[in-house]
Amino acid sequence: MPEIFIDYQRFEFEQPGKVLQFMLDAGLDLPFFCYHPCLSIPANCRQCVVKAGMPVLNREKGTFELDDKGERIIRYFPKLMTACSLDLTDGMVIHTHHSDPLVKQAQADNLEFILINHPLDCPICDQAGECPLQILTYKYGPEGSRFEHKKVHKPKAFRLGPRVVLDAERCINCTRCVRFTDEISKSHQLTIVSRGDKNYPLTAHGQEFDDPYSLNTVDICPVGALTSADFRFKARVWEMNQTPGIDITNGKGCNTYLWTRDNLVLRITPRQNDHVNSHWMPDSGRLAYQRFNENRVHRPHIKLDGNDQVRTSWNNAILTLREQLEKTEASEILAIGSPHAPVEDNYAFRKFFKMHGVSEFFFVPDIRPGSGDGFLLSDDQTPNTNGVRLLDFKETTCKNLSSKIQGDKYKLIVLLDDSLFDRPDWPAIDPGNSYFTVWATNHTPTTAAAHLVIPVTCAAEHAASYVNVDGRIQRTVAAKETRYTNRRLNLEMSMGRLDHYGTQFDNWVDEKNRIDCIPAWEFFKKLDAEARFDWNSSREVLNEISRTLPVFEGVSYERMDTLLGVPLSISRNTPVDQKKTIEPKP
Amino acid sequence: MAESFSFDGKDLEVIRKILSRYPHKEAAILPVLWYAQDKFGHTSPDVQHLVARTLDVPEAHIHGVVSFYTQFYEKPMGRHVLDVCTCLSCQVCGGYDMLSYIEDKLGIRAGETTPDGQFSLQSVECLGACGYAPMLQVTNKQYVNHLTPEKIDRLIDDLKAGIEPSFESMPPKQHEKDNRLS
Repeated sequence: MPEIFIDYQRFEFEQPGKVLQFMLDAGLDLPFFCYHPCLSIPANCRQCVVKAGMPVLNREKGTFELDDKGERIIRYFPKLMTACSLDLTDGMVIHTHHSDPLVKQAQADNLEFILINHPLDCPICDQAGECPLQILTYKYGPEGSRFEHKKVHKPKAFRLGPRVVLDAERCINCTRCVRFTDEISKSHQLTIVSRGDKNYPLTAHGQEFDDPYSLNTVDICPVGALTSADFRFKARVWEMNQTPGIDITNGKGCNTYLWTRDNLVLRITPRQNDHVNSHWMPDSGRLAYQRFNENRVHRPHIKLDGNDQVRTSWNNAILTLREQLEKTEASEILAIGSPHAPVEDNYAFRKFFKMHGVSEFFFVPDIRPGSGDGFLLSDDQTPNTNGVRLLDFKETTCKNLSSKIQGDKYKLIVLLDDSLFDRPDWPAIDPGNSYFTVWATNHTPTTAAAHLVIPVTCAAEHAASYVNVDGRIQRTVAAKETRYTNRRLNLEMSMGRLDHYGTQFDNWVDEKNRIDCIPAWEFFKKLDAEARFDWNSSREVLNEISRTLPVFEGVSYERMDTLLGVPLSISRNTPVDQKKTIEPKP
Repeated sequence: MAESFSFDGKDLEVIRKILSRYPHKEAAILPVLWYAQDKFGHTSPDVQHLVARTLDVPEAHIHGVVSFYTQFYEKPMGRHVLDVCTCLSCQVCGGYDMLSYIEDKLGIRAGETTPDGQFSLQSVECLGACGYAPMLQVTNKQYVNHLTPEKIDRLIDDLKAGIEPSFESMPPKQHEKDNRLS
C-alpha cells in the first residue's frame, strides 16, 4: 500500500487525495484558511505550507538511493509547498511545524502578513470565539506585529445584500465566499475587486447579494468579514448552547444547529450531513428562529363566550375536550393531522382518535410547485409530509377539507399543529358551528378561530422525528426549555456556560422565554381518561411506532443519531395508497 | 442609466473572432474589455454590464477584472490620462514628487479630471519600467521615462498642442499588434 511519512510517522493511504485533507482526516493539525473540502483549491492563503520531499530513485536499479546510514535520501522541493494542493504520493516525506523550524517560522510570518491590515477588533467582532484567524493566531502566530504604519481602510458595515453585512477591513481574501457563489449556489454574485492590499469581495455594480443561500458565506468566512445582518451583535458565541436540530421550514430537512441563550433561539446554522445538505442550508431555514421565539401559544386558550379567547388551566382544557368527545359521535369528528408536526405527535393523535372510533384521518400537504430549486429548497413547505403519509393519513386539499368543515356532518374538528387558514389556497371559511380544537405552537388566524387551543412544543423544544422529501427520517433534540423541562435533568439537552454557572435569579434570565406547552403525544396521554398510553418520552413513542409499523422497522433515536438519519424504504414516486402502511395495533 | 451602450453587428463580429481564439470565454474578457474601452472610452458599470451580457459571463466577474487593472477606466476620463507610477522603484526615485508636481500644475488630485476634460491623473502600481524610474504612461500608450519637472512641463504643453510623445521604450498595445483582428 502506498505510504507517506508525516513528521517521521508512517501513514498508509488508499485513495488519491491531498495532503491537507489526509492530515485532517488522520487528526493531525495544520493551520489553513482558504481550504474547504467542498470547494475548489486556490491555495491562496498560504497558511498550510509544509516542507515536502520525495525519495531519490535510482532509475537503473529501480531502488531508492540510500545514504551511509541506510536511510533513504530525500530530495526536498525547493520551496515550501501548500499541503491543501499537494497530491499524496507514494514515499512522500512531509515536515510540518512539529518537525521543521522553517515551517513553524513560515506559518508565523504568514500570519503576521495576514494580520498587517486586519483591524484586530476581536472585542467587538461577532466572529470572535469561533474565528479561525483568532484561533490560529493564538496557536501559530507571532507574538506581536512589527508593522508600525497606518492600516489600509476599507468599507465597514457595508450591506452586501439583505442578509449579509461586509466588513472589508477584516477580510483576508481567502475567496471562500466567491467560490461558494461560483461553485455551490451558482449565483456568481461575488468577486474580489481591486488588488493588493485594497481588495475585498463585492458584487457587480448596482447588484445585491440576494442569493437564497447567501448566509452560508457567513458560516464559511474564516474571519468576521461577512456577518449575518440578523444575528449581528446579538450574542457572543461562548454564551450560547449549540443543539442539533432539523430545518422545519422545508421538506428537505437540512440538518442544523440551534444556538440558544436563555431559552431563545438566536441563530440557526447548518450541520454537516453528506446524505442531505452537505455543509449548507438555505437562508429561509435560518429565519425559523423567529417562529420558535415569538408569538407562541402559552398555556391553553379557550373561547368562553363571544370571540375572545382566554387562558385556561391544563386541567380545564383536558376536561373540556373530554366533555366534547363524550357528547360527539365518532363519525362526527373530523381529524386532521399535520405535515408540520413530527411523526410521534401524528402517531399519538391518530392512535388516540382511532381508539375513540374515528376511522378517517386527513391532512393537507403544502406543496407549492416551482418554489423549490432542486438543491436544498423543495417544493414541499413542510418538514414531515412523508411521515404523515406513512402513518396512513389521507391526503386532501384545502378545498375539499373546507367543504367538509362547512357541511353539517362534523360536530368536532380536531386539527394538529397546522395553520391551514394561512395557506394561499384556503377558501375564506371558518369552522362554523362545529367545536374547533387546535394543537398549535404559534398564534395564527387558525388558532384565533379555534374554540380550544392546546399549546404544543415546537421543533426547538422537543425530541421528535421528521421524514423528509427523500424519505429520510431524522430527529431533533430539545434546545429550548419549556415550563416543564429542565436542562439539568434532561441529560440530552445541552448546557452552555451560562446554564452551568448561572442561576434562575440572574438578571439576564427571563422566565417568559420558557413557554407553557407540552408535546402533543404527552397531551394525548393525559387526555386519555383510561390511561392506556404508557409513553414517558418521545423515544418510547417512536419505539412503539417502529415495533408496530413495518415501514419504520429498525428505526430508533440511537440509529438516527449515529447514522445522521435513517433512510426509509419508500420511493418518492410511489402513489400514497400503494405505500406499505399498516394500521397501528389498537 | 443615462446613457445606454450597445455593440453593433461589426462589433459582434470582432468579438466573435476574439472568442474563437480562446478555449473558454473567460479568456476573452480582457481583449473584449479593451475593445469596449476603445469604443466607448471607458468601462463604466453600464459597459461592464454590456460585456457581461455579450459574453454571457457573470457581471461580478467582469467587475473584478476591471477593478483589478488601473488601465480600465470605471468612469469617463479626460482626453489624456496620466498614469504616474508610485510603486516601489519609482517611489524611491521620486515618483511621488512627480505626482505632486503634476497635481499642483494641473490643479487636480490623483484620481481626478481637469474641468476642461483634457487631463486625468492617476497614481498607479508598477508598470514594469523600474529601470526608467520615475515614469508615467500616457493613456495606456507611450511611456514617458526619467521624469523631471521640465520633462513634465514639455509633455503637458505637447499634449495640449495635440502632439503625442514618441515611444521611448514601450511596445504598442497588445491587441493593436494583432493583425488577425484587422
